[in-house]
Amino acid sequence: MKTSRPVAGTLAVAGYIIMIVPILFVVATAFSAGSTLKFPPDGLSLRWFGEALSYDPFLESLVTSLQLAVASTAIALLLGVPATIAIHRGRLPGKNIVESLFLSPLIVPELVVGLALFQQLVITYNLENASVLLIGHTALLLPYAVRVTGASLANADPSLEEAARGLGASPLRTFVTVTLPILRPGLFSAALLGFVTSFNNVPLSLLLQSRDARTLPVTMLDYVQQSYDPMVAATSTLILGATVVIAIIAERTLGFAKIFGGINR
Amino acid sequence: MTAAAEFVEVSQKFGDFTAVDAIDLSIPQGKLTTLLGPSGCGKTTSLRMLAGYSAPTAGRILIDGVDSTKLPPEKRGLGMVFQSYALFPHMTVADNVGYGLKLRGITGPARRARITESLEMVGLAHLAASRPRKLSGGQQQRVALARAIAIRPKLLLLDEPLSNLDARLRVQMRSEIRRIQSETGLTVVLVTHDQDEALEMSDEMVLMRAGKIMQQGAPSNVFGSPTNRFVAEFLGYENFITMTDGSLHTVRPEHLEVAPAGRPVIDGGLSLPGTVTDVAYRGVDVLVTVQSTDPSGLNVTLVSDLRADTAPPVTVGDRVTVSAHQTRLVPIAA
Repeated sequence: MKTSRPVAGTLAVAGYIIMIVPILFVVATAFSAGSTLKFPPDGLSLRWFGEALSYDPFLESLVTSLQLAVASTAIALLLGVPATIAIHRGRLPGKNIVESLFLSPLIVPELVVGLALFQQLVITYNLENASVLLIGHTALLLPYAVRVTGASLANADPSLEEAARGLGASPLRTFVTVTLPILRPGLFSAALLGFVTSFNNVPLSLLLQSRDARTLPVTMLDYVQQSYDPMVAATSTLILGATVVIAIIAERTLGFAKIFGGINR
Repeated sequence: MTAAAEFVEVSQKFGDFTAVDAIDLSIPQGKLTTLLGPSGCGKTTSLRMLAGYSAPTAGRILIDGVDSTKLPPEKRGLGMVFQSYALFPHMTVADNVGYGLKLRGITGPARRARITESLEMVGLAHLAASRPRKLSGGQQQRVALARAIAIRPKLLLLDEPLSNLDARLRVQMRSEIRRIQSETGLTVVLVTHDQDEALEMSDEMVLMRAGKIMQQGAPSNVFGSPTNRFVAEFLGYENFITMTDGSLHTVRPEHLEVAPAGRPVIDGGLSLPGTVTDVAYRGVDVLVTVQSTDPSGLNVTLVSDLRADTAPPVTVGDRVTVSAHQTRLVPIAA
């Protein structure tokens, strides 16, 4: 941080403190030996981590959350990437409308989407909650898939694909050897953002839950309402740890600037 | 002279806008042809149609005598250098140059040899392992050239290749491109809006305006004998004079003498009286603007470009005689 910008520097430090300090309290509480969620903790132990890792509802819902996050991210990318390419490279009539449509889940409140899906798909068409949850999460992630990969494409020179064609590459070959590599940083960041967004989502998951389709955050929320022991803090700490590990791997392999900037040059 | 490529009544319309209007054009084999004109004249659109990136709305395009109007770019075998260079950012310089070779089934040592040969031609063999973004603009331009010539194209197409370079490099690249053209014997089509570039580089020059070809020929022919007012103005003729018979003639500013009263004027040519309205000193030369009346009685503003060291001392308001040799008067269509 450059000392030549004292106001911005101070604000940044304040921001970090506001974001990080509450998390540190949660982490500290997770190592408590006592049985209530309070700070400072009553002694130190790993007891609640053991409890969290052997608490079946958490484990089952973790599997559900992971499956849901992976599947909805994959489907959102499969739908979103061709749409992005059509929007940025094709001669699509009304491409602005198409793009707005794909971005609309970002604006419509998730509770409204959740309620609409519940009313229409679960009640009227009697679809399984798990499928509806997948549909809801996919819709939620589509804007990320379209926007983030779109940023990579928008930054890239459209002449690149023309150059490949001119040098003798078929449209398919051009897509594989030029367009996809250009998109790669965008795809990574869209996948990462999508995964995290789905994994952390509460409103949609809450409205569309059922006994066999309950995500980890919803289960945790449920648990906190009934009991007030440090197991939830331990679970949060484990999730935090996993996130940090993923972030470090992403940083080591690609670099954050590349992932979140979608930068190609 | 055989044609490497030919346009037969080719048009390109974008909605109501006609970018190229039924042009007939012949690109001579083994020569450097420039498409020259102001922006929006249809020169880039013509080049893109030749490359296959945009389909004509009417007419035919022949490459090597074969109707190629409907061929996609990958089947045309032409080498294109884009204004933005369009180097693949995720590949090394060598892989950029070798991209088209792999697609032609040239692999292994043969591919490496051809990459080296192409890079040597532009003087960048030592940068084969670099990434394009590490290179300067001039170097990227050379890599783009090497990539296009590596595939031994039927034609080398250059879209404003020098416009993103600084002035010194631009002049240097002009002779560089000429050298590559003569070494390879390639047919080159170059699009530019810079008349100096076109005059210096071309064997054949095609001047375009509003989707039409205004004049085509060797640079010295076009420059010395523009056939219409647009071409004349574009090439720096500033004086347009209507004779008593109604014919229009043009004279370059450097061929117009200005003489104050009592000084000799050029005999047997054009000679008009007038008043100096502006004198602009520019170091080597001085521009003198004179308000005058041409033989047909029209008021005209004449500009004379005189060598500063031999120019007569005139100031604004002076009565002068403006004159030019008969041979310097170029008759043009209105």
